[in-house]
Amino acid sequence: MLDKEEDRGGVKMKKKRYGRVFLGLMIAFGFMLTACRNETPEESTSEDGSEVEAGMETDGMYSIDDFNNIKTPMGEAIEGGVLNFGLVSDTSFEGTLNYNFYQGNPDAQVLQFFDEGFLSWDENFVYGQDGAATYEISEDGRTFTFTIRDHVNWHDGEPVTARDWAFAYEVIGDPDYDGVRFGADFLNVVGMEEYHKGEADEIAGIQILNDKQLEIEFIRTTPSILTGGIWTYPLAYHIFGEMEVAEMSASNEIRQNPVGFGPFKVETIVPGESVTYVRNDDYWRGRPNLDGVTLRVISPATVIQELRTGGVDLVSSFPIDQFPENEALSNLEWLGIVDRAYSYIGFKLGYWDSELGQNVMDPDAKMADVNLRQAMWQAVDNQLVGERFYHGLRWEASGLIAPSHKAFYNPDLERPPYDPELAKQLLDEAGYTVNESTGYRETPDGEPLVINFYHMSGDDVQEAVARYYAQAWEDIGLQINLELVEFNSFYDQVGEDHPDIDVYAAAWTVGINVDPTNLYGPITPFNYSRFVSDENTRLLELGVSEAAFDLDYRYDIYNEWQQYMLEQAPVFPTHYRANVTPVNNRVLNYGVGDGTGLYWYDVALTQEETLAAE
Amino acid sequence: MVHRILLMIPQIMVLSFIVFLLAQAMPGDALTGLIDPNIDPMTIELQRERLGLNDPWYVQYFNWITGVVQGDFGQSFRFKMPVTELIGQRLNNTIALSFLTLVFTYIIAIPLGVISGRYHDTWKDRLITTYTYLGFAAPLFTFALLMLYLFGFNLGWFPTSGSVAPGMEPGGVDYTLSRIYHMLLPALSIALITTVATVQYLRSEIIDIEQKDFVITARAKGASEKRVYNKHIFRNSLLPIASFLGFEIVALLGGTIFVETIFSYPGMGDLFINSILARDFSVMTALVLLYGIAAVIGALLSDIILMFVDPRIRIK
Amino acid sequence: MVKLFKSKKVEKNLVVNKDETYSGFQILWRELVKDRVALISLIFVSVIVIGVGVISLILNQDEIVRVDLFSLNQPPSSEYRLGTDQGGRDVFGLLIIGARNSLLVAALVTLLTGIIGILLGIVSGYFGGQVDHLLMRIVDYSNILPTLMIIIAFVTAVPNYTIIQFSLIMTLFRWTSIARLIRSRTLQERELEYVQASKTLGTSNFKTIFVQVLPNLSSLIIVTMTLNLAANIGLESGLSFLGFGFPDDTPSLGTLVSSARNPQILELRWWIWMPASILILLLMLSINNIGQALKRATDARQRRG
Repeated sequence: MLDKEEDRGGVKMKKKRYGRVFLGLMIAFGFMLTACRNETPEESTSEDGSEVEAGMETDGMYSIDDFNNIKTPMGEAIEGGVLNFGLVSDTSFEGTLNYNFYQGNPDAQVLQFFDEGFLSWDENFVYGQDGAATYEISEDGRTFTFTIRDHVNWHDGEPVTARDWAFAYEVIGDPDYDGVRFGADFLNVVGMEEYHKGEADEIAGIQILNDKQLEIEFIRTTPSILTGGIWTYPLAYHIFGEMEVAEMSASNEIRQNPVGFGPFKVETIVPGESVTYVRNDDYWRGRPNLDGVTLRVISPATVIQELRTGGVDLVSSFPIDQFPENEALSNLEWLGIVDRAYSYIGFKLGYWDSELGQNVMDPDAKMADVNLRQAMWQAVDNQLVGERFYHGLRWEASGLIAPSHKAFYNPDLERPPYDPELAKQLLDEAGYTVNESTGYRETPDGEPLVINFYHMSGDDVQEAVARYYAQAWEDIGLQINLELVEFNSFYDQVGEDHPDIDVYAAAWTVGINVDPTNLYGPITPFNYSRFVSDENTRLLELGVSEAAFDLDYRYDIYNEWQQYMLEQAPVFPTHYRANVTPVNNRVLNYGVGDGTGLYWYDVALTQEETLAAE
Repeated sequence: MVHRILLMIPQIMVLSFIVFLLAQAMPGDALTGLIDPNIDPMTIELQRERLGLNDPWYVQYFNWITGVVQGDFGQSFRFKMPVTELIGQRLNNTIALSFLTLVFTYIIAIPLGVISGRYHDTWKDRLITTYTYLGFAAPLFTFALLMLYLFGFNLGWFPTSGSVAPGMEPGGVDYTLSRIYHMLLPALSIALITTVATVQYLRSEIIDIEQKDFVITARAKGASEKRVYNKHIFRNSLLPIASFLGFEIVALLGGTIFVETIFSYPGMGDLFINSILARDFSVMTALVLLYGIAAVIGALLSDIILMFVDPRIRIK
Repeated sequence: MVKLFKSKKVEKNLVVNKDETYSGFQILWRELVKDRVALISLIFVSVIVIGVGVISLILNQDEIVRVDLFSLNQPPSSEYRLGTDQGGRDVFGLLIIGARNSLLVAALVTLLTGIIGILLGIVSGYFGGQVDHLLMRIVDYSNILPTLMIIIAFVTAVPNYTIIQFSLIMTLFRWTSIARLIRSRTLQERELEYVQASKTLGTSNFKTIFVQVLPNLSSLIIVTMTLNLAANIGLESGLSFLGFGFPDDTPSLGTLVSSARNPQILELRWWIWMPASILILLLMLSINNIGQALKRATDARQRRG
């Protein structure tokens, strides 16, 4: 035994060094592995690449104006072919595959290929006449008559009828309905309230005239009906008619063998991860070009890799911060549109009274002084944030109506300029003077002022921006306490008016309805700033009045409202943003945004095989 | 033994209570995340009422418990399907992945551990030990991602997402082969990292046992080195490893979240984390109960294995 | 003169005896020194700890975490030795302060779990019977608690938790393994004669435990704590990956490493996460090496020195 130890002892001494050497090798290996990645983006700036480059770069800055929203054709269409679509998500899709019941965005991505609504809309989000149904409006604007076109059939061959459309209204209005679509738009239908409460067996305002025609009578007429106020998705009566409402969403007919009337039919579903579709030869617009589509869930960590290898031709969304370093990939074109969204910073000015169901302002709120709010706005340079953190793909917002609402957006609204010196002056004049010993400003009453700023956590870049804001405010003498809170907790606390929250940063993805009442009105719980005023209420009501059917009038009202909100500043908008989508070069007839006139049935391919980057 | 199983029941009851309280303590509920201007806030309140989320916690607990003892774990709000069915789907995926991972883990760990222990302090051992240290410190996420980039995208040897190829119908040889093919890379990624604990342990066990008297006796008796190792040292060193089996299985049940995210592989880890993030209480509580029961069974399993394998230990 | 002669002889004998008996700590120290790798590791760890401690005193934490719009994502240069991150912050500064915070958490958790684990383990093993039974039930029970969920619940319910709070929560889940180890060893020690002797002599239980038994466990304790320290360093990193690590203004090695979740940072901005990863790796390796050497020291037959 001892001998062996000694032997080993002698040999040991030399061998020990190898440990460290191998360690070094391993680390080097790790380096190499990651270094390999570096070269590809630079490599592929071929001459071909620059021709198709839509997002032009100047000093690393991009402008949304330089992006196309329709794919430039890169070849001739072939017959058929299968499109590969990537659903970018870090979790599986829920699989509630019916427009009447779904909730999360991933399901909507799956739905878009095999189902659709009856009405299309143009770039101003107004319902058009080239959907599966056409419509007419009565003189008084309250009764709509819809006519479903011929040859609109469900995938199982049955025709789509007015009965199906009415059935959707009945199910959503049913008290056992477990989805989230019911609301004011539905209650605006004559007789819906009684039906929902169980006082009536039918919805009085909905008349099935014949197989193809439906009449809906609304209580109030407002321009908002034409922009999203109608529920346009039918529910197949011949499939669901006998089912209990509470059991529909879990049924096989929704989860495993869903049926729609869109350009493709669902072939197979692997729950949570992939769906395959085949062409619906019977599609009412005409025979789609593609043979089928394969949808796969891919992690945001692998989007670029999938795009680069051609594993996917299109994606549901693209993380914008990965764009600059990958824009030169040779097999892609980058399309861009203005996103239907804006981010903003809000001030807590009151609380939500759930008993009365309305917002109530608190005159003693910490942020109640409009000068304080204006000053905080002037202290932050949003344009710079957009340039430096987002390379110009986010830019300073001008008002509370996003540029995606082209008919109502106004880039020339008067707002406070970025000027920290002016901000300091404003605060001095308003009585928020600096306390010499602490270095921070106090309230006009001489009390110490600590402002709690709540921001969501989870996005590295966003957290850095949050910190920038806090710094900017500290630079004008305000004492800021930054709290980074997880998503659900954030909205819970903001929604419940947690007493600690003074300032919060959030964003809205706006719907197609321009009416801001849902977000800023006196009786909506989504009005997180709790700002209420007679002028605000007046303008919002005018915006959906009968007079507002006149577009010019409506534009003026919303202009006035936006200007009013900028002056009162219960919230101030910070950024608008661009939505950039990569499209593989073998794809034809694809466009992003609303009103392009291109639909999934138009999409075609230039070749059978997938196209990888060089 | 029976005593322990009986003890399990009150333990799980208390667990369910704790979990319920925890869920209440977390800010928000399943509807809080539905911040969508297209959704009418009125309907959110309606759904809250319908789900009973406004009831006091003891009422909610009572409703839930009565359901549970009848086998009804409720409905997932996010998935709109019964919790049992949902978990069943995911369990399928996770069990398959865990099994393959375990197989890989032991295939890698046992030879490496034995070599490392038998030839300890030689260059073979140094190499293996370095690998174990690297595995110990390497973050699983980064490693799995790098594996995917290299073997999935760069070399194209493995599929890059999903548990099975899209379009496959369940049943049949093709389907099974596709599933195994899709599981190879994720299982390998996990296994390469998690073997290191077993390798280290095996190595230290072998070194310890080598010092024991019965080994010295065997050698003194003139047994060949090979016999000494195979019959005496190896068998004995496997004992504690076998007893870990129970715990390993449990750990794999929920610990695969990173790999599931990267490979878009719908499994239990993904379900668990996201049910917490989305405050889908019915799923959350059901899963915690499941893990609790699994942990108890895992411990029991380990003890049983140990009892069979090591005659010195007997549970009264 | 005769006296002197005699005493010299006695002295010589004393010297001879000295060669053969060493105190426990001296054995450990000798083993460390003899094993070259462990020695290098020890030096490395000391350098890091001292270096981090000293430099972090010089650095201004507020300046380091300050977002600088004009230096976003800079690669390493003469101005920023390790480049900057997505907020324009100096990565080298973040690394130092992060290392300090991470080491602090790891040390705190190791210390707390050690104290609680040892106390409960010894008491449980020594007294046996009901006390032991109760403790083992608690330990077993903590196995089935959903640790992840509790941590997440804590993190979401307490938005701005401090290092201390974080460490306390970690401790809550980690003390059980030490307790179990100490308990089983105590069970063995309890049967040994010196404990019986102590009891017969009428020494109080308290004294027997802490004066007699505990020192004999010291080597086990030292070894276990050292190995645990290595494990705990990586602990916080794992949580950061799930999104439950420290917030922005408390840099830590974990947050730096977990920034690699973003594929941009993973592939193209390696300077943000790789130095932290390597540091964690080397620290864990080193502390592990030291622990292994100490472990060998406790078993006379494995000693190299």
